[in-house]
Amino acid sequence: MGPILDGSFRAEGVTKVFNGSLRANDAITLHVEPGEVYGLLGPNGAGKSTLVKQVIGLLKPTEGRITLGPYDLVEDPAMARQLCSYLPQAQMPIDAFKTREAIRLTGRIRGGDGAAVDRRTDELIEALDLSVWRDVIGAKLSGGVKRLVGFSMVSVWPGRVVILDEPTNDVDPLRRRLLWDEVRRLGEWGSAVFLVTHNVMEAEKAVDRLAIIADGRLIAEGTPSSLKAQDRSFLRLQLMLVPSAATPTLPPFVMHHTRVGHNLVTTIGQTDASHAIAWAQEQIGCGVAEEYALGATTLEDVYIRLTGHVSSDDGEG
Amino acid sequence: MASAIRLEGTAVPRPTWRHAYLTMTGWDLAGLRLELPLIVVVQILSGIGFVLGIGLFFQRIPAQVALYVSTGVVVLNLILVGLIVGPQNTADQKLAGTYEYLRALPVPATAAAGAWFTVALIASLPAAVVSLVIAELRYGISFTITPSIVPAVLLTAFTGTMLGYALSHAIDDPMRTRLIAQMLVFFVFGFSPILYPASQQPPWLATISWWLPFEHMATIVRAGLTTGVVSGIGRSYLIVAIWGIVGTALSARAVGRRA
Repeated sequence: MGPILDGSFRAEGVTKVFNGSLRANDAITLHVEPGEVYGLLGPNGAGKSTLVKQVIGLLKPTEGRITLGPYDLVEDPAMARQLCSYLPQAQMPIDAFKTREAIRLTGRIRGGDGAAVDRRTDELIEALDLSVWRDVIGAKLSGGVKRLVGFSMVSVWPGRVVILDEPTNDVDPLRRRLLWDEVRRLGEWGSAVFLVTHNVMEAEKAVDRLAIIADGRLIAEGTPSSLKAQDRSFLRLQLMLVPSAATPTLPPFVMHHTRVGHNLVTTIGQTDASHAIAWAQEQIGCGVAEEYALGATTLEDVYIRLTGHVSSDDGEG
Repeated sequence: MASAIRLEGTAVPRPTWRHAYLTMTGWDLAGLRLELPLIVVVQILSGIGFVLGIGLFFQRIPAQVALYVSTGVVVLNLILVGLIVGPQNTADQKLAGTYEYLRALPVPATAAAGAWFTVALIASLPAAVVSLVIAELRYGISFTITPSIVPAVLLTAFTGTMLGYALSHAIDDPMRTRLIAQMLVFFVFGFSPILYPASQQPPWLATISWWLPFEHMATIVRAGLTTGVVSGIGRSYLIVAIWGIVGTALSARAVGRRA
């Protein structure tokens, strides 16, 4: 058995430069306590996956330190692999494995005791409602079920750090909720959970704290409420434009806007609410917009303001 | 009762090398469950094909030729899984994006390599045995099997597997890995003195062959199956072992590499 370990996860000034010039990570500093669920949010290509690959020892930082308690994960990648369990964004290699077998074998490989791993495997299959597929091989599973099996493989015998890169991709809404319950349980057991995602709405409900990463830099960090605090005096005015309509000329009180497809999302000051409603109705009246909605700003608005990106999958590109 | 895993304040589990090796062997065997029976059958058929097919080149096959072919086929059976199936599998993993997950498992590189060697050996041995039985039945060869066949088989399969393993991991581009593995196999089939003596090669090719492991694999396996047919056995063991070490070192370096 290894030594006793307590302590938090720390990344200090982590910088990763590819090919001498591309700064995929630029001086990222963050810490995560055991039991915390920590979101890493950012658009595709922001450097989230690069960061976690350095944690797990697949990439080596150009500069900076990554530690977990007393362990230096950069210096000792073998220890990093023992301490961290990793669900990559790509599919898991389970085509030939039966569901139960894949989860069980991974638990054993991670060093879990046979009987305890068996018990935990059955619990996960039950908790994520996977019983129907218990003895079905991976090649016959849908993308969402494969994802849940992957999550189970990573959490059956969790590391001190559990890294989940887009764990809910293709998972149906009902089982997503089950999955979040299990993520929470990992936290209760003392794992620091990294949730890597570009789905802000989902992350808002699941994380304790989060960092927003853009262009390789950590540009904001805090609890979802603290990040929203500075946007509290703003409102979100959303217009569904008529297909093929050009973006209308925006009135001066619109502080920020993003258009995705027919969806025009703007940020306005609270005091401009009545002007905004009048303007929106005018747009409907002259046939530019079909409907509008006015509401409090969400974490998504903060995210859009900071990154210039819309978080949902269809918002990329 | 539900599991309650407590992590904080507890020791970090450090599985032993043996545990890692055994669990990874289980993982590899389960992962190849769909292909393994097919690999074994194809191996057996190709072994039989060589033993019987080369006999058809001759009206009456000379005894020496029959002996070389029958013992050489065993070498092909022992190294082809490691040289072809290994790189093929790894290339598939890289293309499917699953390679990184496997690299992130807490398994020492040597345990993972040892597990794959074990599985490659399991996939190779049935064909090697069947080839010998068919040769005995077809050509009436009576092999004189000595205990030295055990290290010869193990070392040959090990070196073949490790060379394939190095190809799999040291070359980043999976398509290139596949291409090189396939070219290597053509070279082994056609231009390596495995099924025939090196003296039948043009001198320049014989010189190249002498520095490569394949001729020497045939020598040490033949030494375990016959008496008085081959010489320089100790030197051949040495050369095959050196190639095995080279393959292992290249693999270890490639697997441990962090970009």
